[in-house]
Amino acid sequence: MEAGYTSLPASQLAGSVPAIVAEENQGRAIVGTLHKTNLQTFPPGSSASGYQALGTPHGEDGQTTIAWNGLFNISSYQPYFNIDTDIMFDRLISSVYPMNDFYRKVDANPDLYGLVWISTTLVFILAVLGNWATYLMTKPDVSWNFDVNYVNWAACAIYGYVLAVPVAFYFLLRYFGSNAGLVQLWCIWGYSLFIFIPGALLLVIPVEILRWIIILCVGSASAYFITLNLKPYTDGHHDRILLVICAAVLQFALAIFIKMFFFA
Amino acid sequence: MSHGDTIPLHPSSQSDIDEIENLIYDSVQSGHASVLPARAPSPPRASIPVSSSPFINSNVPPPSYQKVTAAKPPPVPAVVPVSSVDPSVPGGAGLRQGISSDAFGSPTNTLTEPVWDTVKRDLSRIVSNLKLVVFPNPYREDPGKALRDWDLWGPFFFIIFLGLTLSWSASVKKSEVFAVAFAVLAAGAVILTLNVLLLGGHIIFFQSLSLLGYCLFPLDVGALICLLKDSVVLKLIIVSVTLAWSSWAAYPFMSAAVNPRRKALALYPVFLLYISVGFLIIAVD
Repeated sequence: MEAGYTSLPASQLAGSVPAIVAEENQGRAIVGTLHKTNLQTFPPGSSASGYQALGTPHGEDGQTTIAWNGLFNISSYQPYFNIDTDIMFDRLISSVYPMNDFYRKVDANPDLYGLVWISTTLVFILAVLGNWATYLMTKPDVSWNFDVNYVNWAACAIYGYVLAVPVAFYFLLRYFGSNAGLVQLWCIWGYSLFIFIPGALLLVIPVEILRWIIILCVGSASAYFITLNLKPYTDGHHDRILLVICAAVLQFALAIFIKMFFFA
Repeated sequence: MSHGDTIPLHPSSQSDIDEIENLIYDSVQSGHASVLPARAPSPPRASIPVSSSPFINSNVPPPSYQKVTAAKPPPVPAVVPVSSVDPSVPGGAGLRQGISSDAFGSPTNTLTEPVWDTVKRDLSRIVSNLKLVVFPNPYREDPGKALRDWDLWGPFFFIIFLGLTLSWSASVKKSEVFAVAFAVLAAGAVILTLNVLLLGGHIIFFQSLSLLGYCLFPLDVGALICLLKDSVVLKLIIVSVTLAWSSWAAYPFMSAAVNPRRKALALYPVFLLYISVGFLIIAVD
């Protein structure tokens, strides 16, 4: 039904303008519900009907190329970065306290800016502070060198986690019949990492027991955030609650990994 | 390029044109191509158009070709007036670029010039871009003027130099340090530019890459000093100073490119990149 908007007659021309117009129209038309916002579909340019993503209901040759054009064009990803500074701060604060309102704020306008830059900041913070923490813990007669592989490990771990886990949960939630959106899930996981940044700053303190306490608090806070924001997708079905618990456990495992690898 | 026939000539320039015509005819008749060293313009490239320019009259096409206003005068003929070209001279478009007696009429003949001239031209462009970007300059606020003649050689040299300096400073895992520094800087520049574009800003992709590369120059200087002197306090001071300098150089360009409501969102990643490179400089020992 929404696919009709993507078949604008002028869409063979520049390709990028009709794609945005189509998506924005659909996004504004369906606001305030979890159901079928076009910002849910990723990659952009695909029609809103799930597995028919890159195929076309009409079978015209022109339509198929338009969907692929949207994939490689910057302006078709712009709706995912449609965020201002004050909104961004508001979302960052509400990812720490209070956590229960986050999914409502994010639903109509999920942003990938938070995902990209919070995870990048976390990668650098872990690499730098992890090195500093091991430096503080080395005995005076043992030589210490800056281990640049921390950057590699941090990048692989954080980027891998925050990109792959929401995809897995997207497929699992869809399999169980929920209508979760991939971009919303990415947004939630991205902002769930924010609390690790001040946590990492505190983890530099070279007292071992204090480090464990800090990481347990931070890990549970982050896991709690994930649970609260995945709960709306369960819609009361009990089999999906298991997925939510798995997500919380994974988040906690990430916290333990951060402590053991970077702040040993 | 030869639209200049509607522009009135300055009285003194006619003599210059006559002199140049004589030189051209002489060299054509003598049969060998005497290509005089001149700073040929780069191929026309995208740049943010400026609304007014002091050099070009209003009935001349948009300023993408006005690069020649920065051309050094060729040493042998007199200074060529840049806004007027006599269309009856064969290869007339080549006047502004120096004498090129190419029978096919193509404007530049940089293939036959000595290699040292090419290198000198590129080096002078790097230096002039550096002065525009990194040092105080009244045109800094206008992104259209600040780096109109962008190039990627400068950023390339600065990134490689920074990677090499960090690698030399490291006592262990030298090649990994270079790899991490190079990857972070190169990927970082691309990702920062994409970030601005995705936030709805208006910049030219390569112009922004060029600018972010040139803004690394203060960090290069800082890394070199940290390589030579090895005290932690000194490193901290030097890195903070050069970091502030780099950020100050990059700030006006990035902040002018986006909607003011999203300025902080566009600037934060720039600071993040430079701060992380600064940490690498301090920590590698």
